[in-house]
Amino acid sequence: MQCREVRDLFDSYLAQELLTETNHEILRHLSGCPTCRADLAERRALREALQRAFARARDLEPRSEFSAELGAKLRDIAQVAPRRGLFGHWLALAATVVFGVGLAGTLWWTSRLLHDRDLAAAAVGDHRNCALHFALAEKPISLAEAAERYDAAYRVLEELPPAEILTSSGAARVLERHSCVYAGRRFAHVVLRYHEKVVSLLVTSAGGGISTNVPLDAALHGESSVDRIDDMSVLSFRSAQHTIFLTGDVNRAELSSLAEVLAGPLTRRLSSNQTQRSTLGLATASPSLTAVMPGDSRSGIDWTLPGLFWRKRQGSLGATCPEPAPPRPQPIATLEGYRKRIHGV
Amino acid sequence: MTKKEAPVDEHAWASFEAEALPHADQLFRVAMWFERNRQEAEDLVQDTMTQALQSFHRFQRGTNCRAWLMTILQHIRSNRRRSRFRSPVIDDPNDRIAETIPFVPPLPERLTDEDILGALARIPPHLQEVIVMCDVEEFSYKEIARTLAIPIGTVMSRLHRGRALLRQQLRTPADRRQKEI
Repeated sequence: MQCREVRDLFDSYLAQELLTETNHEILRHLSGCPTCRADLAERRALREALQRAFARARDLEPRSEFSAELGAKLRDIAQVAPRRGLFGHWLALAATVVFGVGLAGTLWWTSRLLHDRDLAAAAVGDHRNCALHFALAEKPISLAEAAERYDAAYRVLEELPPAEILTSSGAARVLERHSCVYAGRRFAHVVLRYHEKVVSLLVTSAGGGISTNVPLDAALHGESSVDRIDDMSVLSFRSAQHTIFLTGDVNRAELSSLAEVLAGPLTRRLSSNQTQRSTLGLATASPSLTAVMPGDSRSGIDWTLPGLFWRKRQGSLGATCPEPAPPRPQPIATLEGYRKRIHGV
Repeated sequence: MTKKEAPVDEHAWASFEAEALPHADQLFRVAMWFERNRQEAEDLVQDTMTQALQSFHRFQRGTNCRAWLMTILQHIRSNRRRSRFRSPVIDDPNDRIAETIPFVPPLPERLTDEDILGALARIPPHLQEVIVMCDVEEFSYKEIARTLAIPIGTVMSRLHRGRALLRQQLRTPADRRQKEI
């Protein structure tokens, strides 16, 4: 490639719009051409300066009340009833008593079940979107930044799980750690290589104060079996304020082995993180495991409801997980870098 | 916004509140950049968000919500422009002259935010649009093409020309610009 051709492509190169092969050609050219390197550096610097200038310009800032006023107007347009006050909650509580604890319980569990499924579908969507297809609507940010801005507990994922994980059915290796968004939900995302497949560990705020040691059985009777979501196995477990998902194109037994090793340390560390923002958690810290997969008779795992969920009490979980190790992957600046780290191409 | 819109169910409102509403401030910055008038920018963002709320069921989950909102904003802007002018807006006849822009010397070492935004403001508005969407908002070519309702090739040529003009502006000393004016 000649200098002129390369420079014609710089705009698209900076916008990450080129094919991998073309990127390689440009990189090859840049390695031997200091003039083009300087030109590219200048263009990149200008782009960054433009972003900074735009973000810092005082005369582009909205009024401090603008967002709140806009939200109120839109709420009015939507004709959504404002959130209930304390008195409203007492009335709702009284109504619940009138209609009977059983009925309320059934409704609560049904909504929880739907919530679980929505969450699991979002986790699978994020795995596909982010780890497999790199189709990121928003750039991932570091776990440290996500911990700073959204949920301090995400910092736990910076060192847990450790870079190498030994399970009863083989080793897993951490490829990448970051925080990303799918369908409006933020996840802490650890990408693993396990049984030659890409598997995602995703942690998100439980969002509803989900109790961990409650019987799911009654609520689940009569539900149809959910074995896989979008051709991916999914398994989840909970800490006091977070739901943790493992998902990937591996079989149930392999995913369960990984969960056995990770569940204990992860739920303990997430629950003991005193600085997390959420105030909705109601539960104790002891983990229960939930898998949205059909029943499995593997020893050590109690499939309480064939066809849907399994739970396991705290105890032997995580006994084989080594202590967290400091090494962690460096942040990735480009999509290409990300793809290379995960798929090695 | 005088007419009363159809009610939105609480679940839809919650999703909208979580996914779309947080982008209001950033939309305002872009609206303010182009409108140069605070009241008009606020109206534009409010109309954008109102339309987005009513059409939120059409938003494809997992795609870029900010780009979707920007498409609505640009659509409203373009309708407003049309209603203000008698003749239709003529498409840029210079889209294919990117290669005619001469080579210019390197950028000065120190550039302030004012230098950069001032230079951006001096290039034609249709070139500013693609630069803001690509370099500031980091939208893909496809998203920009959809937002501005122009072909991807036009996005590329406008970006190329816009960036070249921007660099040219930044390299031209202020005193010479003054004489040119």
